[in-house]
Amino acid sequence: MANASTTNVKRKLPPCRNACPAHVNVQAYVSLIQRGKYKEAVDVIRNDMPFPAICGRVCFSPCEDACARTNIDQAVAIRSLKKFVADIERQQTKVKPKAIPKKHKEKVAIIGAGPAGLTAAYELAKLGYPVTVFERMAEPGGMMRYCIPDFRLEKFVVENETNYIKDLGVEIKTGVEFGKDIRLESLKKDGYKAVFLAIGTQAGMKLNIPGEELKGVVNAVDFLRDIALGKHVEVGEKVAVVGGGNSAIDAARTAKRLGAKEVTILYRRSREEMPALPSEVAEAEKDGVKINILVAPKQIIGQNGKVTAIECLRMKLGEPDESGRRRPVPIEGSEHRYEVDMVIPALGQLAESKCIPKELLDEKARIPTISIDPLTLETKVPGVFAGGDVATGPASIIEAVGAGKKAAVSIHLYLTGQNVRLGREENIEETTWVKNREQIKKKERRYETHAEKPRLNFEETVDYLEKLERNAKFEAFRCLCCGPCAECLANTDFCEGDKAVVDEVLCIGCNVCAVVCPFGAAKKDENNVARINEDLCKGCGMCAARCPTRAITMKKLTNERIATLALTPLKGR
Amino acid sequence: MENDKPKIVCFMCNFAFCENETKPPSNVNVARVNCIGRLDPVTIVEMFENGADAVVLTGCKPPDCHYLEGNIQAERAVKMLKKLLSLAGLEPERIKLVWYSPIEGKSFDYHIKEYAEEMAKLVSSLLKTDKLESKLMTNILAAKNAASNFQLRVLLGREKELTEGVNVYNEKLSQEEFDELLDDIVETEFVRQKIYVLTKNVPLSVKDLSEAVGMKPAAVLKQIVNMRRKNMIACDHLEGQTPLYRALEAE
Repeated sequence: MANASTTNVKRKLPPCRNACPAHVNVQAYVSLIQRGKYKEAVDVIRNDMPFPAICGRVCFSPCEDACARTNIDQAVAIRSLKKFVADIERQQTKVKPKAIPKKHKEKVAIIGAGPAGLTAAYELAKLGYPVTVFERMAEPGGMMRYCIPDFRLEKFVVENETNYIKDLGVEIKTGVEFGKDIRLESLKKDGYKAVFLAIGTQAGMKLNIPGEELKGVVNAVDFLRDIALGKHVEVGEKVAVVGGGNSAIDAARTAKRLGAKEVTILYRRSREEMPALPSEVAEAEKDGVKINILVAPKQIIGQNGKVTAIECLRMKLGEPDESGRRRPVPIEGSEHRYEVDMVIPALGQLAESKCIPKELLDEKARIPTISIDPLTLETKVPGVFAGGDVATGPASIIEAVGAGKKAAVSIHLYLTGQNVRLGREENIEETTWVKNREQIKKKERRYETHAEKPRLNFEETVDYLEKLERNAKFEAFRCLCCGPCAECLANTDFCEGDKAVVDEVLCIGCNVCAVVCPFGAAKKDENNVARINEDLCKGCGMCAARCPTRAITMKKLTNERIATLALTPLKGR
Repeated sequence: MENDKPKIVCFMCNFAFCENETKPPSNVNVARVNCIGRLDPVTIVEMFENGADAVVLTGCKPPDCHYLEGNIQAERAVKMLKKLLSLAGLEPERIKLVWYSPIEGKSFDYHIKEYAEEMAKLVSSLLKTDKLESKLMTNILAAKNAASNFQLRVLLGREKELTEGVNVYNEKLSQEEFDELLDDIVETEFVRQKIYVLTKNVPLSVKDLSEAVGMKPAAVLKQIVNMRRKNMIACDHLEGQTPLYRALEAE
């Protein structure tokens, strides 16, 4: 990691890896799953981030959106594959990881045991730093533990993955509140040489409409947190959830599960603009949650201090705003009421301004944010870094993981006295298999990727698991492996490293190679001689197999070698 | 008897290969290649030349090719090769294309055993290198030469371009027209190569050749005229009034 950041490297990444904020080596673990090497696959994931099982469940999988296979039929179910290997690894290996010996003396403090903080701790521990994570809540995990309901992300999964980080030698101190029990100065006094602030956005945004103080109005973050803490939460009969993000969906589904008879999501834009994952929205509807679009609350009406109804306005979509989504415009006189006894605002989260030291605050921002250098995550105070939701606004787990990784590199460079900015701007080029995206005939979807968990008895489960494994392998085989090299295939004869070589004397410029090559790597140059673009060539050898004059040969697996491979055992008989 | 079993060469796509599922019988040799589309048609014919009785290509079922179109390329080559084999007097079933995926119902071993049994029944004679009949050997060599012919390979390689796009004159070729064209070239080329192989060592007359090839003397002569133009063959000497032809070494 540190080596890669010292020079300005030009990397070629497959689209999935490039799309991932944490740059997880998707291609490598998918091809390891193809070959049934599950443990190695998890190791590959752990190399890049510490939460294979968590991300396998709740990641919004930008990798799948970027997948080159979408040009052929549909993306490889990368997230499901990750969940699959992570679960198998958990079942098979009960061995704890060994603590990593401390190579460095400089202590690092990390505030907040959420995805960003834990990732930074994990990366720094791997580098050999003594790391202490401070967490306000009783258990580490942050929003992963306290905001995502159990039916999406089981608590034991979070427990396992945080324990893994603990086992590596990271100290996690829970029940310590930043700004109250510890401060930047006190940490400095205690001998911490660097601090990473990853306190996240813990406060739910307010509706700012009349009636918000009524009994029965509970913010989604508080609602979900109380449930995660095991508190008794009273849920009304008719619940309105305001907002269209994942927390809104989570809150609605949780309320439904807690016994609410009718749960309605009120969202001010149209369905396409909903920030929640489409699959989650579909799941919510399956649970019986109603979704009302193009409505915004105007006021909450109460009686005796309790919510009785919510008054809303109809909206229509106007011009796109700076976020690219069309702005909702209220329709005059369209007030209407919903009879409800509970309102859950789920409009987004804010950082708690009282937690952020004054010297770090971004004065220009309207909401409390820490101003950082987006490349290095440095704050105005040297030795203090910040990242994750607190700096970028509420985002996703995988983005927080990406920030954690970035912070770890910065802290390492800072503590070793190197230039923190040096070589950080990576010049990444995407590779892709697909020659002419427009020309490819899209085949119809063939697979249902997100299968439901069935209820089975023990005998059926064995069969089911076997089938699951076969399905996972099949899914993994759909990967086109567009990257330059898959790690597991290294050092074999069939490594992607094979290359086509053109004999310029023999080549007559017939252009067959250009037609045959699936990746557009072969082309005639102005002298009518075939040229192979090495960046695009995947070494499949199809040009060598079809070249009419045998001008193209492969470096490793030549035609002659194939013949020897095939014939030697037969001749021996 | 071990030697009575057909010797089968199985080319297997590396992406369909699965270590613990591949335990072929002893008369089957599995050779892994990175894609079955990577196989040169000549290499496949060479297998027969060297004593294999049958060749199986095991690859991923379309559209699941790691190289997008490799399996389709293989399909085309196999179609052409089957034609060549039947011209050479061998059963076209000696080449088989199997779509296989390590996770689908039937195992690889199942496929291969089934095929081996089928072959044992179907293949009339086993090809044994040392005892290979000279007539059959001539045919196989002719087929091999035909498979390496420039014109044929260009056509084979450009099938997609020709059938899916238009040529420089804005003409479109239908799949049937293309197949006809390819068949035509395969036939002509096979005959030419057979003449070439036959006259390699012994100069032969048109009459001898027409008996050996099984065509009318006029048709053979037409091919010889063409071959002379291509510097493949030349008149060796005259026997009375009859010219005897001999194959020329390639430049």
